[in-house]
Amino acid sequence: MSSSNTCTSEFCNAGWSEVLTHMSPYGFANFGVAFALGLSVVGAAWGIWLTGSSLVGASVKAPRIRSKNLISVIFCEATAIYGVIMAIILTNKVKAPDENTYYLDEDWDWSGYYYAGYGMFSAGLSVGLTNIASGISVGIAGSSCALADAQDASLFVKILIVEIFASALGIFGIIVGIIQSNACTFPIAALN
Amino acid sequence: RRHGGKSACWRREVTFSTMTPPPSSEPGGLATFNIHHAFPEALVRGMRSSFLKDSDYHHLSQCETLDDVRLNLSETDYAEPLADMPTLMPSSLQKVAVDKLVVEFQYLRSQAVEPLATFLDLITYEYMIENVMLLLKGSLSGRDINDLMAQCHPLGMFKDSVMRSIPTFESTPRGYADLYQTVLVDTPVGPYFAQFLQESSMNGGSSRNVLEEVEIEIIKSSLIKFWIEDFTAYVHKLGGETAALMGELLAVRADTNAINITLNSFGTPLNEPAMRVSDRKRLYPAVGFLYPAGTSMLADVADEDELGRVLDLFPQYGAIWNIHAAGTGEKGIDDAFYERDVQMNELAFEGQMQFAVFYAYVKLKEQEIRNLVWISECILQAQKDEINKFVPIFSQHAPWRQTKRR
Repeated sequence: MSSSNTCTSEFCNAGWSEVLTHMSPYGFANFGVAFALGLSVVGAAWGIWLTGSSLVGASVKAPRIRSKNLISVIFCEATAIYGVIMAIILTNKVKAPDENTYYLDEDWDWSGYYYAGYGMFSAGLSVGLTNIASGISVGIAGSSCALADAQDASLFVKILIVEIFASALGIFGIIVGIIQSNACTFPIAALN
Repeated sequence: RRHGGKSACWRREVTFSTMTPPPSSEPGGLATFNIHHAFPEALVRGMRSSFLKDSDYHHLSQCETLDDVRLNLSETDYAEPLADMPTLMPSSLQKVAVDKLVVEFQYLRSQAVEPLATFLDLITYEYMIENVMLLLKGSLSGRDINDLMAQCHPLGMFKDSVMRSIPTFESTPRGYADLYQTVLVDTPVGPYFAQFLQESSMNGGSSRNVLEEVEIEIIKSSLIKFWIEDFTAYVHKLGGETAALMGELLAVRADTNAINITLNSFGTPLNEPAMRVSDRKRLYPAVGFLYPAGTSMLADVADEDELGRVLDLFPQYGAIWNIHAAGTGEKGIDDAFYERDVQMNELAFEGQMQFAVFYAYVKLKEQEIRNLVWISECILQAQKDEINKFVPIFSQHAPWRQTKRR
């Protein structure tokens, strides 16, 4: 690790801080969009097959539960919708500069530029990861709800309350995600 | 509540050779069990609601004739199987009820994938062992093969040709070896028979001087012992909630077998001091709460008093033994074991995403069939005062729930 081995050309990164700042904020922002959508859909899908498979089996002997227990599937679907909402909001904020130049201007709004990139990335992660947890949680509760409803119809509403609390986790994610991404705007022209 | 799948009752390593191959995958925890096993589990939980309720048992025990029984059963889940039966007799009721259970079990088995499929197969091996022993015993008393086949349990049927050839073998050690080599080696109970032959040859089988009937009982107890050990090793490898619950159920099953073997050996050649250690001790399963300390004590027990003293050291069996020792005739030790089994099997339904519900369902359904046969026999023989000696299933008025309210 002698200093003679360190690359001193202007094209090399001079340290970790340069590694991070040399990654384009557009890259960060679009990864945020991908995480928001992709992870939310993973959570929703996981929840849907968890609850749907139990629902299919339980309705063989108790057909009356078929329609009511689709609510569990709808709760899982809602987590995917949160992901889509967040992805649409974030995508609409990603704007290319007005002028198609090779280098950005000297008095570009660098702080706002990086703020937008990091903010959208973390907003996407907020929504995506909370929706995975929420989706799985709703799925397991929905599976138990279908099995319990098949035995005793009065249990359905009570277990549904458990699912409501589980899906509230996804709402927390999207609320925080929207607050995080509110102030994020990509600059499209130099400041002045 | 013990942690995870590790529990005190099988902390000792299950080291004997296992005959069923280890499971190819895990059942999965809360988040992954439903991939493969949600449908069969939901089916068996739907079948749970088909058990007869307190009101059904109440109506049945009020019946005067078997036709009334049939009328009352036509409002339960038994309506369809009983539809095309002209008259009801306890034996035909039992056959119809067992066939219904078999149809449901085969539905579950057809929807199951590994490792649930092997688990369900292991449940049926017990009935295969019973069928093999029925055919062997029947050949001793020279009964007709067709009668014997009609009496075989439907859950444990082999191929027709295989079953018909079993009574043709002689009941000597040489005959059993031939039976294994030619017929049983391809069946699922083959490995258990192989272990039995190995064990008896290690102990100088031909020099034993036992009656043929005792020999058959010893064979059956040995095969059941190997089955319990095999099943326990398999569920231990499945891990998780399944291992915890099924481990308990199989442990008490092993202990029940050990106690019954000891109790039934009194007054038979198996209870002679020479035979106790060499033969009777070999029949105790190597799993269960009584293993190893309890079974080594049981091996030396000579009569009921000594048996009672040994069982007093184990609280859960001390209570059951006291019911037997009281000996008022109200309840026998079998009834006490049935009640305890129903209680544990009901509790197996409390946990989701594990396999023990399948085993518990089969056992509880068998108890219900026993209840139905008992009630109809009491009505047939006009002994109405004995009629309430059945064990209700999933009932709020069960005996163990009553005592807790005091």
